[in-house]
Amino acid sequence: MDFTLSDEQKMLVNAVRQFIKEELKPLEDEVESTGLLAPEKARAIFEHSRELGLYAMNMPEEYGGAGLSAIDTMLVEEQFGHTSDILIRRAFGNIYEALLVCEGAQKERWLLPTVRGDRTCSIAITEPGAGSDAMGITTRAVKDGDGWLLTGNKHFISDGEYSDFFLVTAVTDPESTPKAISLFLVDKDSPGFTLGRNQVMMGLTGTSCNELFFKNIRLTRENLLGEEGRGMRICLQTLGRVRLAQVGARAVGKATHVLDLMVEYVKERKQFGKPIGDFQLIQQMIADSVIEVNAARLLLHRAAWEIDQGRDARDWISMVKVHAAETLGRVTDRAVQVFGGMGYCKELPIERYYRDSRIYRIFDGSSEIHRTLVARGATKFGAALYDVRA
Amino acid sequence: MPLKILVTSKRVEDPEALILVKADGSGIETQGLSYRINPFDEIAVEEALRLKEEHGGEVVVASIGAADCVSEIRVALAMGADRGIRVDHEGPLDPGMVAAILQKLVEGEQPDLVILGKQSVDDDQNQVGQILAQRMGWARATFASKEESLESTAEKTRQCGLRLAADGTSIRVVREVDGGLETLELSLPAVITTDLRLNIPRITSVPGIMKARKKPVREIQVEELGIELQPAVIVRKLHSPSKRGGGLRVKTVQELWDKVHGEAGVL
Repeated sequence: MDFTLSDEQKMLVNAVRQFIKEELKPLEDEVESTGLLAPEKARAIFEHSRELGLYAMNMPEEYGGAGLSAIDTMLVEEQFGHTSDILIRRAFGNIYEALLVCEGAQKERWLLPTVRGDRTCSIAITEPGAGSDAMGITTRAVKDGDGWLLTGNKHFISDGEYSDFFLVTAVTDPESTPKAISLFLVDKDSPGFTLGRNQVMMGLTGTSCNELFFKNIRLTRENLLGEEGRGMRICLQTLGRVRLAQVGARAVGKATHVLDLMVEYVKERKQFGKPIGDFQLIQQMIADSVIEVNAARLLLHRAAWEIDQGRDARDWISMVKVHAAETLGRVTDRAVQVFGGMGYCKELPIERYYRDSRIYRIFDGSSEIHRTLVARGATKFGAALYDVRA
Repeated sequence: MPLKILVTSKRVEDPEALILVKADGSGIETQGLSYRINPFDEIAVEEALRLKEEHGGEVVVASIGAADCVSEIRVALAMGADRGIRVDHEGPLDPGMVAAILQKLVEGEQPDLVILGKQSVDDDQNQVGQILAQRMGWARATFASKEESLESTAEKTRQCGLRLAADGTSIRVVREVDGGLETLELSLPAVITTDLRLNIPRITSVPGIMKARKKPVREIQVEELGIELQPAVIVRKLHSPSKRGGGLRVKTVQELWDKVHGEAGVL
């Protein structure tokens, strides 16, 4: 077993690290205080990143991405975790692999411009009445001639304000069991589309989260992604890797970033005549954080390896989703404790990391949902899911 | 006029890592250390690439060391250098020996320009460029810098700090000297060593990283070069700098004098 990174992996990690340090870190405080990333600055970081080939790295080379393996994607995404959500979105893109299902004219219209960064896409599954229960949606696409009429509403759609098209789940046949859900590519300028209010969040400052309203939006065959009624299957097949990257890997990166600050602080901060790192109660917080971050990273790499082997990695991804998100929660909570008053004060970014970390246990399937899936996997596959296969 | 440029890419301990001397003083603890391209060499590579982008030509990157130092050659290749040369060697080398090896490479490659870091951040010797120029009998300029700051438009638009003359026979170098900058016009071929304020090295691009894998790196054994390597400097022992004692506050000039002159025995 070799945990050494290859030369290419090292260079990739270093390139992303350097880009974040030089181009993104200096913008973080401004985004936090003004609540937004100025469009001209968003443009500048996007252009530089695209020039370096750092945009849309998760997409295959044939469509203009970097064609990274799952492991390499996780190494890179972990680095993304060192900066904030909005800066990651603008600098590196947020391109859903579900778009790879595009066929024929769909590629030119939606996939390719998104990989180039000329268009931006958000995924719109969540509704006020359907969160973890993604099958419980009520948005309907009613057959009308050769196409459909889309009606319903979504909420908490990240980047809703910024994106110019959406991947929307809608019920196409409510009578079948389970009810048939399809995925549609819906342009923002479609007649019948209304952008709702920005639902201001506890953290992730700068990223808009919007309600979307659809009223009799006319959709053609070209708007249908994949086969009719197969929407949830496409989601299941393509969202796992995104989840591992955007939640698992970024949570590990974020926790590492916070841990770094903690370790530096306990060496510098003196109380009772010595660095607070000399006190055993502080040491326990550091030790537990180091152990948990490393455990989360190992689990992350294992899950990515499963994907690279072409195996169904959903249970592994769920394990990472729970463990990395909860590790991040504990590490940032300890950081606030270690930094004390300064950890709670807005003069340092610790309180921001604390707020930003809370959503990791909620979005993309709550800890409870993923624990349920892991338990289900364990009863289904038994030891194959957790024992050494020798 | 296209330029052929030879640059160096030495593998050094990451200057941000914690360096510990072995208990017996025979070297440093290498376990768990991370390595990188010598930052001054990285600046040399960057400048060579800018010259190539402006004038055309070829950038050849060289390093001396065991197989693992190919990693740092690959970094230079990922930045955009065309090909690499690794001279296989294990064990310590003093600056004279490094210059002797590089001389052979320069004689073989016949570049118009050799650009090296002014020193490497491991031993901080600052001698190889000078000795190499002397051995070759070439013009040399150390501590290459530029008039514009690193925040200037010239730097943001990645302009060369080294300026090739229109007829391609000489190059202008602004160098850092005590109290200011000095401008030299060197006739080619020449040896130039780089200082920190010459440029900001580029971030390697993803396509660059992918292409680096396919670029050739030639391996040469020291014996093939036909030189006898004799160290002029032998490192007998390493030890950590002694710990700094705490400072103290004095109340009067007399007390200061007593401490400095009386106790410390200076002045």
